[in-house]
Amino acid sequence: MTDRIADIWGMRTPHAAGTEWPARVDEYVEPGVPVDEVGWVRSACVLCSNGCGMDIAVHSGRIVGVRGRADDRVNHGRLGPKGLFGWQANNSPDRLTQPLVRRDGRLQPATWDEAMDLVVARTRQVLADSGSLGMGFYNSGQLFLEDYYTLAVVVRGGIGTPHLDGNTRLCTATSDFALKESFGTDGAPGSLTDFDLCDTIFAVGHNIPETHTVLWARILDRLRGPDRPRLVVVDPRRTMIAREADVHLPIRSGTNLALLNGIQHELIANGWVDRGFLDAHTIGYEELAKTVADYPPDRVAEICGVPAEDIVAAARIVGTGSRLVSTCLQGVYQSHQATASACQVNNITLLRGMIGRPGCSVFQMNGQPTAQNTRETGADGDFVGMRNWQNPEHVAELAAAWNLDPLQIPSWAPPTHVMQMFRYAEEGSIRFLWITATNPAVSLPELHRIRSILGQDRLFVVVTDAFLTETAQLADVVLPAAIWGEKTGTFTNHDRTVHLSEKAVEPPGQARTDMEIFLDYARRLELTDKDGAPLVKWRTPEECFDAFASITRGRPCDYSGLSYNTLRKGTGVQWPCTDARPEGTERLYTNHTFNTDTDYCEDYGHDLVTGAAYERKDHADLDPAGRAILKAAKYVPPHESPGDDYPLLFTTGRTAYHFHTRTKTGRARQLAAAAPEVWVELAPGDAERLGIGEGDLVRVESSRGRLEARARITGIRDGMVFAPFHYGYWDHADLDGHPSDAPDGRPTAANELTITDWDPVSKQPLVKLAAVRVTKIGDAEGRPAAAPTTTASDPVAAEVPATGGGDGVREAVREER
Amino acid sequence: MKLHIAIEDVQDAEADVGKQLRAVAERHAAEHDLYHLGHTLARQCDEHLQRLAPFADRYGASGGGRSVGESTGVVETVRRRSGDLLGRSKASGLLLLRDLRALYLSAQAAEIAWVILVQAAKAARDSELLDMASSCHQEAETRGKWLRTRIKETSPQVLVAG
Repeated sequence: MTDRIADIWGMRTPHAAGTEWPARVDEYVEPGVPVDEVGWVRSACVLCSNGCGMDIAVHSGRIVGVRGRADDRVNHGRLGPKGLFGWQANNSPDRLTQPLVRRDGRLQPATWDEAMDLVVARTRQVLADSGSLGMGFYNSGQLFLEDYYTLAVVVRGGIGTPHLDGNTRLCTATSDFALKESFGTDGAPGSLTDFDLCDTIFAVGHNIPETHTVLWARILDRLRGPDRPRLVVVDPRRTMIAREADVHLPIRSGTNLALLNGIQHELIANGWVDRGFLDAHTIGYEELAKTVADYPPDRVAEICGVPAEDIVAAARIVGTGSRLVSTCLQGVYQSHQATASACQVNNITLLRGMIGRPGCSVFQMNGQPTAQNTRETGADGDFVGMRNWQNPEHVAELAAAWNLDPLQIPSWAPPTHVMQMFRYAEEGSIRFLWITATNPAVSLPELHRIRSILGQDRLFVVVTDAFLTETAQLADVVLPAAIWGEKTGTFTNHDRTVHLSEKAVEPPGQARTDMEIFLDYARRLELTDKDGAPLVKWRTPEECFDAFASITRGRPCDYSGLSYNTLRKGTGVQWPCTDARPEGTERLYTNHTFNTDTDYCEDYGHDLVTGAAYERKDHADLDPAGRAILKAAKYVPPHESPGDDYPLLFTTGRTAYHFHTRTKTGRARQLAAAAPEVWVELAPGDAERLGIGEGDLVRVESSRGRLEARARITGIRDGMVFAPFHYGYWDHADLDGHPSDAPDGRPTAANELTITDWDPVSKQPLVKLAAVRVTKIGDAEGRPAAAPTTTASDPVAAEVPATGGGDGVREAVREER
Repeated sequence: MKLHIAIEDVQDAEADVGKQLRAVAERHAAEHDLYHLGHTLARQCDEHLQRLAPFADRYGASGGGRSVGESTGVVETVRRRSGDLLGRSKASGLLLLRDLRALYLSAQAAEIAWVILVQAAKAARDSELLDMASSCHQEAETRGKWLRTRIKETSPQVLVAG
């Protein structure tokens, strides 16, 4: 038995490039449950975008544990700490079990009929007073494909408003947009097996050991194997991956683009580019070469605050590997010039011709488990089936499939992003906002503003969730949702692997699935197609999946060869999966033809600096016709920089043990105990100047708000301050055990400080860049910060108790097949 | 040769766009993208004027000293108040649309002024001027596209909602 809180990645099973990653089956079943009496139900993990194949253990109608699926291509049996322990949230005693309706200023129990009648009455009233543009819908990266697709049809087809977005906007919008800009459509080019085969890894702003623990276990098995890949890491924190790197570039937050231009400068100057590939399969090289020529190592070193020789050394590794995998995540997506920078990582891949072959790829990684599905189903800023909202023929295809007049489907502008929806709610033109399975009152930037918008009397807020989150507490109607393990459906991970997750247990009380709730809403609203028949034609998840599979035929995310039956036969399958390729498709672009044909592409592209949207004629003039697009951009300084009042640079992030706002992970005993409360990380030099030691209580202030927490002195870059963003207020309690009025009393949410600003292309909020000052407000009195010691947050010097407490996990390494 | 006139026209147009960008950014500070990008693009106007300056000298244009002027630097707390007060009025939408439309027209005036200068530079065989004007023209064109995008997104909400 292993303590998988202390040992996040578990036992090593090293292997060489080209040999199969050995299977290791991780299993955790609640102590005392007789394992031989347990029933196992097919599923996959929903606590990060790796989407590990797992089975759910059921005993006496309860979920009692999980184990990894040895035959699954994603994880070969392994699970991370969140997957092993997070399921306990399903059994939490504070699950919502009945609808709540605000009466006399308080949320009070109601029947489903009462709650839904109110939701429908308010919908009708807003539609009558303001039209469909008065309605907004904000969902999640944690529902199933079937929930999303039903929502997309109800909102885009039925209500007819463009105001539908997912919290994937905070998570992977930049991934989505960068893929569209460079390759024509969304869709990860590569396969997770590329990590098994590569000889070089370039990780930009991607703390893999904490965000994707099982992927890191996979990479560690290569790093400990006989032919260790070389590793270049860009991150201002000294993360666990940075400690493994051949070159670590701890750049100043907000300067990704300058660095990536600098690396491309070196690739071109040293001839580490594949001219044959570029000439045949890309456009834009001349412009790119001209742009990056202005970024020699010395200039970049000055902008980024790292030594020029390290930039040169990093470029040499990236430039001379023969099988390169590049990957980026929130350090790029949530920072300044996000899409522009993510596109440069694509460019580096293309300059080196490292795509479409085993061991060579770029990952614009996802964060949330089902983020990919919001993008495919059009429940976020995209159109259904990776269609192009500016292409009338694509809109007509949807209208035909839904039996609607094409004018009914909003396509006069891109789907509205969440920050703009909140702006419309702020100025009063959105009057109805339905929030599903996400927690903007903790996860959006500048929280005082978000709370004040949600708290307006004129805005009617519906929240569907499994728990009474900080956002639900501000709602007018709260609907109790069934979650993973309590419903059947599918979802897709960051290498396009589709899994089926079966219903294992009944939902608690009167909780319903999101798909059922949206179907009920559509029925009560009497949403119809143009012939007067009900708009939504399905009743079960399987019928919904089949309808979605049909509408994706011929598009990049082609599900037409997939069904619940095929997904029940084996384990995860990668799209595109068609009748001609029933086994799925491991890699895209193997013939180096990209999805950039003007009639086929998902987007006509943008200017990366301003976000100006190109129109059809611009794209047709460019005529990429199946060639990838090298997009160049100049570095411009961030909108907020440290100054006299706020001299330090604040960044936010996650820890290995928590997910989002801890709605689930905070209710799993081992995970909650591993990282029980917020902390603030400071560099040793800054801490000394400010007279702050381990555990001292500090106040971090920006021009927007403040945060109070205990300090941890770590290996973060000098001049920078970090706090995890997981810690809202639902579990705050005052001395009597009642919830405290925390936002004013003891602010712990990192987004109290962050700026309302977003990337001009992907519209992803920039929560990794705020100017702050830090002051000490109390002594540690012997108590250290409650930050994990197993991760990037371990102290550089202080002696603090080691993180642990995840006993009882069985790890069974399978002999090589 | 009357090339100085083309340069002066560009100088006037860029100074005007820069001024308007700053004014719109401040007036609509609750539109956070306009606030940030408005200031970024106003700085771009300053840069264009700087790049024009040596050519203004070369061709004897009168306005070498034109500038867009510094940002009024409205502090965050004031922005917040404007978000709370002005930003919560529905009339702000119509005002926004009117301002964006005026700004777009000014941006187009600047764009065509650059086209004229590019043409003159070609005929005058001044390759330095041509390089500078072509590169600035591209940015001026993108600026117009950005405003067009923003106006297309904003107008339905202002005119049809409510």
